Amino acid sequence: MKKRNRVLALTMAAAMSASLFAGCGSSTQQGGAAASSEAPASSTAAADGEEDNIIRVGVVCAMTGGSAIYGEGAQNAVDMAVEEINAGDSGYKIEIVNGGKVADDAKDAKQAMNAYNKVMADSPEAIVGSFFSSVTLPMAEQASKDGMLLLATGATNADVTLKGDTIFRNCFIDPYQGKMAALFAKDKGFTKAAVIYAKDDDYSNGLKDAFIENCEANGIEVAYTGECMTTDTDYSSQAAQAVASGAELLYYPCFLDTVPLLVGAARNAGFTGAIMGGDGWDGCDTTGLATQFDDCYFTNHYSSEDTAPAVQNFVQKYTEKYGTESLNACAALYYDAMYMLVQAAENAGGTDTASLVKGMTGMSFTGVGGDITLDENGDAIKSIAINTFVDGAVKWTETLGSDGTVVSKAD
Amino acid sequence: MTKRRLASYGLNLVGAALLYALITLAFTFNVFGKSTTYIQGICTTACYTIIMVTSLNLVVGFMGEFSMGHAGFVSVGAYVSAIVSGAMAGRGLSDLGLLLVAILAGGLAAGIMGVAVGIPALRLRGDYLAIVTMAFAEIIRVCFCNFSITGGGKTMSGILKLSTFDRAFWIMVVCVTIMFLFVRSRFGRTVQAIREDYIAASASGINVTYYKVLTFAISAFFAGIGGGVYAHYMTAMIPTNFNFNYSAELLSEVIIGGTGSLTGSIIGAAFLSSLPELMRDFSTYRMLAYSVVLVLVMLFRPGGIFGRWEFSLTRLLGSLTHPKAKATKGA
Amino acid sequence: MTFSLFFQSLINGLNQGAIYALIALGYTMVYGIIRMINFAHGDFIMIGAYTLFYTIPLMVNAGMPAWLAVIIAIAVCAVVGVLVEILAYRPVRKAGSMSALITALAMSIFLENLAMVLFGAKPHNVQAIFSLPTITVGSVALPLNLLLTIAIGLGIMIALQLFVKKTKLGKAMRAVPQDKDASTLVGINVNKIITTTFAIGSGLAAVAALMYCATYPRVTNDMGSMMGMKAFIAAVLGGIGIIPGAMLGGILIGLIEIFVKLFAPGWYEAVTYGTLIVILLVKPSGILGKNVGEKV
Repeated sequence: MKKRNRVLALTMAAAMSASLFAGCGSSTQQGGAAASSEAPASSTAAADGEEDNIIRVGVVCAMTGGSAIYGEGAQNAVDMAVEEINAGDSGYKIEIVNGGKVADDAKDAKQAMNAYNKVMADSPEAIVGSFFSSVTLPMAEQASKDGMLLLATGATNADVTLKGDTIFRNCFIDPYQGKMAALFAKDKGFTKAAVIYAKDDDYSNGLKDAFIENCEANGIEVAYTGECMTTDTDYSSQAAQAVASGAELLYYPCFLDTVPLLVGAARNAGFTGAIMGGDGWDGCDTTGLATQFDDCYFTNHYSSEDTAPAVQNFVQKYTEKYGTESLNACAALYYDAMYMLVQAAENAGGTDTASLVKGMTGMSFTGVGGDITLDENGDAIKSIAINTFVDGAVKWTETLGSDGTVVSKAD
Repeated sequence: MTKRRLASYGLNLVGAALLYALITLAFTFNVFGKSTTYIQGICTTACYTIIMVTSLNLVVGFMGEFSMGHAGFVSVGAYVSAIVSGAMAGRGLSDLGLLLVAILAGGLAAGIMGVAVGIPALRLRGDYLAIVTMAFAEIIRVCFCNFSITGGGKTMSGILKLSTFDRAFWIMVVCVTIMFLFVRSRFGRTVQAIREDYIAASASGINVTYYKVLTFAISAFFAGIGGGVYAHYMTAMIPTNFNFNYSAELLSEVIIGGTGSLTGSIIGAAFLSSLPELMRDFSTYRMLAYSVVLVLVMLFRPGGIFGRWEFSLTRLLGSLTHPKAKATKGA
Repeated sequence: MTFSLFFQSLINGLNQGAIYALIALGYTMVYGIIRMINFAHGDFIMIGAYTLFYTIPLMVNAGMPAWLAVIIAIAVCAVVGVLVEILAYRPVRKAGSMSALITALAMSIFLENLAMVLFGAKPHNVQAIFSLPTITVGSVALPLNLLLTIAIGLGIMIALQLFVKKTKLGKAMRAVPQDKDASTLVGINVNKIITTTFAIGSGLAAVAALMYCATYPRVTNDMGSMMGMKAFIAAVLGGIGIIPGAMLGGILIGLIEIFVKLFAPGWYEAVTYGTLIVILLVKPSGILGKNVGEKV
């Protein structure tokens, strides 16, 4: 009996290690095959820039776990952008490595490193991702060591692009977005504000710090600062305190999953002032809370109402193809990232990593996210759209330039 | 007897060196082609996971008590070692020296935390101990969320990238060897006696609490070392990385490998930490498949892959060279 | 702190605590009978919530009150609970508590990811279930929803208590954890009892999901893990396996969390877990638990 168990254990272990090696083997083959099929192509590309106009891109985002909605948007947006670009007449084509799939980081640093290495195995010329700062930071560190172009999409932590010259991003950095929210509050004439932020999240902390700093600089008193966790569901205590502090504006810089709960709790607690958030709000569900979402604002990269052709094209096509379920800021950022790579290739006239980096450094770009200029760190300087809700639907109110002046306004 | 044992250790060391040589050769000669870095990353992950999982097995397998808060000790080791390496950088230490000092500091801090948690918690047994260890780990996480030196809830980034595959591998070998020696020592046997029957053990004059707390502290120490390697491989971390899910992941690796078998833990850790990678092709169905594999292993091997059985190179070679000797000894 | 803020916090704490208590009742019920920490219980609540999310509009369209959807949710949850029990838990039951624990963890991961695949990753708002008003006295708002949650909680608690203490099935349920073999000898079908327990426990999860959605109207695929964890702590605090203890523990945790958030919001989880540790160290069997000496 005992012996049989051992035999079983051994066979099991053998089977498992066999499957392990099989897994390695298959990925080797894939990598090997991809390398062998691609090697002549890239060598000709190096020799003659005009022959190979294919930009090989690796994409990383959270496809599983609590933030999978962002990965869904990213995958759709990337598919859409690639299809458009490859059918277009820019002269450049994009090929997504890893079989056209977004590599999953599950919003976990460990898996993010593996996802990065996984797409690296297909020798891409640029990597796009990831959406959260906590997983992008380790990737950025490695990318700058490897000399790989990393175009971060949602990673708003200021440190990300400081890791190296090959790291860029097309989203706002935290200090900028927080500052713009404070300037908007000042513009609205608020004098007292309250903040509730998620203690265990980079994005939330960064926006809160910048918002408070700029509020104080602009004469707005921050009467209450409340903390919560990203996994919280109950905001009644913080909401009651925000009401008690007499604030006219409540700033809640968190992601879309908790926004309806916070807004509901604040309104239930009797908060009648304005509630404001960042681009994390984009795509949040307002069903059944239309009245509660009155007088709520959020800063964003774009407004679905914007009449600019890039925005209209994106919103319309996306809605037609995939519905509005995953239409959020993340999708827009991944969509833009693809076009930015094409423009970088056009600027430098080549599709290898060095040319793309050269083409991307300091580039100006117009896309769904408005007019973007990349500064010396690789951070995006761009206009910011302020949206509000009317009957639960997102409505554009105004767009602020990077210096805080109103560029355009809804009537 | 001792000579035989020495030979056995030597043999296993040679085995580890051979394995290392094999993997390194595979890397240097690009057997995996473009995937070399990818495979290397998975192997490094496996190395530090093995340290964490074998250390947890000391408590779960050899002491027979649940601990659902191992990620807490890992995080103490990770953060302390990151702070130490940050403070000691540029003081003339070589990279390897710096890494060793940092992870030792991390391990010690985690060990001290293990004593601090163990003294009150180990008064409880079974499910209740599991719950209390989980609670302690959550408290540690909340603390790291609130201390400004650890980033105050934000990602702590800019940790030196000191962990390479080679270093992680040899640190892992050293740690596992020490733990193996511990389990095979008089001390380890005492702990196993407590697992089998703690009332009988205490009746025969064993200070049960002392042995339990010490085992717990040693387990925490090695968890801290694993955390240190992790921190210097990731270079950036946020307290939410070390939540209950991570503890649960480590615990399932112990149990899948086989409670009470260190070699089982090694296989369990290497297998389960690479499993999500092997399943990348499943895309969004990945974690679904992962959980199905967990359930299947539990259904067909409820005691884990290895059970309490240890794999031994000496025995394997012995049975290959003298097939008859194995039958008489019963191995 | 003003008086109104104090009373408001008291009400908020009761509100949150009542939800925890409702979830903890199901937890404690299952643990009390099979002595197994069912990590998937939180995910049963998620399944109940998704069922409500999809069936409430159907109910409203058919002109029936929205809360009737809970009947469908109870049925769905009970079926899922029984399936999980038969397919995953039963085969490993003999293998010891460690295997059972890992199986429960695996089922939790499985259900969460299954929900993601089936229902999509986007969080959804659940339609309003009860149109109960909120009474405002001075500046203190008292949602009547809260009274309903507490009433349902107390009702379930009393019903469960009577069921377990008085009925024949309940007596059999109490016999099983004491001695499985002896129970079999006196003619109790242990497997049947455990399956029934799971059906009841999962059905309770659906009721908890109803009140959860009435208070926090949002469904996501990972909503169960956090709530489940808190409810589990509540159950342990009150004395796991003891039905009134779950109610008490839930309310207590709710109140503690809300009041800690008034002073040190970043530390509230630490205080919750700290309370749990202190109580377990002082009285290992929980507040209402009986200390049972160990047989040598």
